[in-house]
Amino acid sequence: MKNNIKVQRAIHDMTQADLADKIGVSRQTINAMEKNKYVPSTVLSLKIAKLFKKPLEEIFFLEDDD
Amino acid sequence: MKTNYLLPHKYKKLGWLLFLIGLIGGIVVSASNFESTGPSIKVLAIYSESFLNSKSHFFQIIENEIFDEIVSLFIIIGGLVVGFTKEKIEDEFIHKLRHESLVWAFIVNYIVLLFTIIFIYDMAFFDVLVYNMFTPLIFFIIRFNFLKLKSGDDEE
Repeated sequence: MKNNIKVQRAIHDMTQADLADKIGVSRQTINAMEKNKYVPSTVLSLKIAKLFKKPLEEIFFLEDDD
Repeated sequence: MKTNYLLPHKYKKLGWLLFLIGLIGGIVVSASNFESTGPSIKVLAIYSESFLNSKSHFFQIIENEIFDEIVSLFIIIGGLVVGFTKEKIEDEFIHKLRHESLVWAFIVNYIVLLFTIIFIYDMAFFDVLVYNMFTPLIFFIIRFNFLKLKSGDDEE
C-alpha cells in the first residue's frame, strides 16, 4: 500500500512531529508510513483521513502486489 | 493502543539501571571464571546436588555464595522491565517493532545455540548454557532499540 501523507502534510504545512502529535502516535510511525515501511491499521488510517478531511482513498492506495 | 502486559513508562529508567548493573556484575563474575561469587549466606534450596558426590537434597538450608544469583536476578528483572515497559508514545508501530524484535531474538538465539551445540564441547559448553540464560533478552533489547533508532532518523 502506498500513501501521500507527505503531500497532505505539506499542504497543511505540518511537520512529522505535528502530525504525530495530532493523531497521538510517535514520529517514527509517521516516518515509517511515509517511507512505505509500515502499513497503518484501519483505525490509524481513518484518523489520518479525518484529520486531513479527505476520503480514505485519496490518501491511501493499493499497489499491484497487495 | 491498549495492552495488558506492558508496565508504565516511568519504570524504564529503573529497568535500565538494574539491567546495566547486572551486566557489569555478569562480566565481573564471568571474568573471574565464576569464582568470585561471595558473600556466602544460608539459603533455602528446594533441590540441590553436590558437585563432588552428586548427592541430592530436597528442601534443605544450604550455604551459598550469592553474588552470581543477584547478578542473574538483576539482568533478568532489569531486562524484562526494559523490554516490557511502554515507550513514551506507545503506538501500533512500536508494537510491531517489539513483536518483530522478539521473534528475531528467539530465532537468532536458537541459531547461535545450534552452532555452539555442534562446535563447543565439554566445560566450555557449560559457559554457553550460562550465557544462554540471558542472550534471548539481550538480543531482544538490542534489536528493539536498534529498530527504534533506525526508524527515527532521517526526517525529511
